[in-house]
Amino acid sequence: MTLLLVGIFGGLGCIVRYVMEFLVRLWHPTRRPWGTVAANFLGTVLAGWAVYRLSSPIDAHLHSVIVTGFCGGLTTASSALAIPVLLAKSHHWKYSAALIITSPLLCALGFVLGMGLASH
Amino acid sequence: MTQLTHIGPKRFFRAVALVGVSGGVGAVVRDLLLKFQPTANAYDWTSHIPWVLTAINLSGIFLVTRILIGPLRHHTFNSESRLFWVTGFFGGYTSYSSLFVTLGAIWHLSVPASILTALVIIGASIAAGAAGVIGAKK
Repeated sequence: MTLLLVGIFGGLGCIVRYVMEFLVRLWHPTRRPWGTVAANFLGTVLAGWAVYRLSSPIDAHLHSVIVTGFCGGLTTASSALAIPVLLAKSHHWKYSAALIITSPLLCALGFVLGMGLASH
Repeated sequence: MTQLTHIGPKRFFRAVALVGVSGGVGAVVRDLLLKFQPTANAYDWTSHIPWVLTAINLSGIFLVTRILIGPLRHHTFNSESRLFWVTGFFGGYTSYSSLFVTLGAIWHLSVPASILTALVIIGASIAAGAAGVIGAKK
């Protein structure tokens, strides 16, 4: 049952990420993955919140569904790190470096922010 | 550049369904593989190192780089093959948030170890992407 819910919520997370990327490109046509960066930030905020709030063994099921499922689907390592490599290949060094440096820092900040929000 | 996003409502909802289904399958595959991660010891930071998640993420980065430079090279953001594999399946298969959950757990035991783990994993991820580029050239 948990596995099924992880799949459903993982799919929902992917849809939210796609819609974010779609809207970013609709308003500002670009090939840069800023929507993915935003989705990764949002996903780590939610994961930080869930880790703090759902730490009891009773919440293990809900923790899996939200953290492994929804947050796992909302965030992506493949696009977040493959795109900068492809940008570097086409000599967009500044964008590539900016993505490689800012993505993990933003996500770390998001995780701390999520835990901070949960503790209040 | 407008061809990147301008699609009709019917195609948009088809894209959403495609991403949802393939992303859900990717998330299930990740969850099944994560069962192979050894149980962490509360006092030993090395037991928290996310070996399985790292393997999942590295393989996902390698394969996404390889297909974006190879078979999907000329596919736009909304092409169905790209939505299925890149946005959906590998988006659900790999996870950035779970990595930070693990790094947070290591941080509580050893701050330098957490920073070191993060740097090694990010370095390995860039190497996996570069390997995908080199692999596709051959």
